[in-house]
Order: sequence, then structure tokens, then C-alpha cells
Amino acid sequence: MKNLEELKMMREKVKKDLQLRSGKFRVKIVIGMGSCGIAAGAREVMSEFLDLIEKNKKMDIAVTASGCYGFCAQEPMIHVYIEDNPPVIYRNVDPNAAKEIFTNHILNNKVVEKYLFSKGKK
Amino acid sequence: MKNIADHLFDILENSVKAGANKVLVKFSFNKKKFFCQIIDSGPGIESADVIDPFVTSRQTRRVGLGLPLLKKTADDTQGYLKINRLNKKGGTNLEFLINMSHIDAKPFGDLTRVFIDALIAWPQMNLKLMTQNNSTFNTIIDSEKIKEDLGEEALYSSQIQNYIYKTIKKELITKGIDDHFSIEGKK
Repeated sequence: MKNLEELKMMREKVKKDLQLRSGKFRVKIVIGMGSCGIAAGAREVMSEFLDLIEKNKKMDIAVTASGCYGFCAQEPMIHVYIEDNPPVIYRNVDPNAAKEIFTNHILNNKVVEKYLFSKGKK
Repeated sequence: MKNIADHLFDILENSVKAGANKVLVKFSFNKKKFFCQIIDSGPGIESADVIDPFVTSRQTRRVGLGLPLLKKTADDTQGYLKINRLNKKGGTNLEFLINMSHIDAKPFGDLTRVFIDALIAWPQMNLKLMTQNNSTFNTIIDSEKIKEDLGEEALYSSQIQNYIYKTIKKELITKGIDDHFSIEGKK
């Protein structure tokens, strides 16, 4: 771990970013990453979301992973939790779908019916 | 599973779901044979039958395919998959060998990305990666140490993620591991 010194220097640079990051998250995206999800391409979807967050500089969005939901045929599935909104579950999400969901739902709060699996109650 | 990276992520997910907070991953690549050992601090497995798809600890379904699929991937290349309990207290030791020169081998995929994804997906987990150098294993990254020295939120920074990514990638390339079937000319 000889690179730790370099990392420490880098930390100073990104301190501002991190302060924004450590605040409350407005949106949480949970990606199903059981064996079924991974086999269906959940890792590509996760990379896509991380890219989109980076590109749009949205520091209030968290991405995490969960296990299998029990609907393996519908994988990759994602849960989207937006503050003060009912949770929404999407099915068969690929990188293109991720883009659509990100622009329409996460940025503009419009549910994307095409990939909708179910909507929770408020 | 399209590639070995997917399998690796799947195994890490098993460890996390079993409640492990420390996972050690060791890689070695010699004579086109990719060896990977994963040791976790979870409760350990109940029996050696986990490779049977109908043995699973999950509640949602009665079948689990992660390990059987990995076993097939390894067996197809005349490699192996071994899994056992580390000691009485728990902990799981999993080893697999894949012969990358075999015609049925799957490509590596982006192994480096697995580590970054894992750090993001399970921030509570401490992940350590070691690679073999002659007869010893050297640490490449240790997320516990990074968290200790830089603070827990440091891993959320994309600049730091990119730095870790580059560090791991460089190390794997020197070992001859790329995203496909290994780099020609390296042992």
C-alpha cells in the first residue's frame, strides 16, 4: 500500500465533493444483485447509473445493491426510492433503460411505464 | 454469467449476504492458470453440499445457482472449485482454478470493476485484494486501511474510485490478466 500517501493527497482535493456526499441522500437506487441479477447484466446497469450520476453531478443519489427479490425472470430489477414519494420497482432494466429511468424518473419525477414492475403506496 | 468477473461478484455477494464484514481475495496467474481464493469472516457453510443447486440457505426459493454455475465454469476448463469452512468459529474458504488456455474458458471480464462495484455496493464490507509475486502474496488494496486513513466517505469520491481502479488494473496487467483471455507473451 505504498499509494496511500498519494491517496491522502487526493483526499484533500476532493474534500468538497465529499462534504456534499456525506449529506442526506434524496434518491436511493437499489439494484438486485443476486446470481440471477448478475447473470442478467445488473453490473452493467450499476455502472451506467454511476456514470450518469457522475456526468450529471448529482451528489444526492446513492446506489446500493441487494440480493435476489425472487422474481429472477424479471431481472435486472431496480428499486427507486425518492424522498417523499412511493417506492417504484422496475424490471428488465438494461443500460438504455437506466438512461431513460434516470432522466425521466430520477431527474424529473415521471415514472417510466415501459419498465414498471410495481409501485408502492405512499 | 458472461465472464469470470460476474462469478467473482456473485461470490462476494454470497459473503456479504452471509454477514461477512471482511473478505480477502487472492489472485495468482501462472502458465495460463487463473487461481482465485476468497476467504471471508462469515459464519461458514453448514455442509460441503452447497455446490448442489438444491442446497441453499435462502428463503425466497429452494434452489441456488451461483456456486453450481461457477463449478461448471471451472470444470469446463479442467479446473476445480473447492469450498470449505475455515475453522470451528466460522469463515469460508473458497478456491477455484480456471485454465484460461482451454477452448471452453470464459473471458475474465473487467475484474477490476468488480472491486470498485463491491466497495460502492457494500460500503460496510472490508475488502482486501492480494496478488501473487513469486511465492508471496502482496496486498494491492485494503479498503479497511483506506477507510481508517482517509475516512469512511472517501470511497464515495469518484476520483478516489478511479485512482483505486487504475492501481488494481495496472497490477493485473503486469500479471498478464486483461479483460479477455490473458495477454499473450506473459506467463
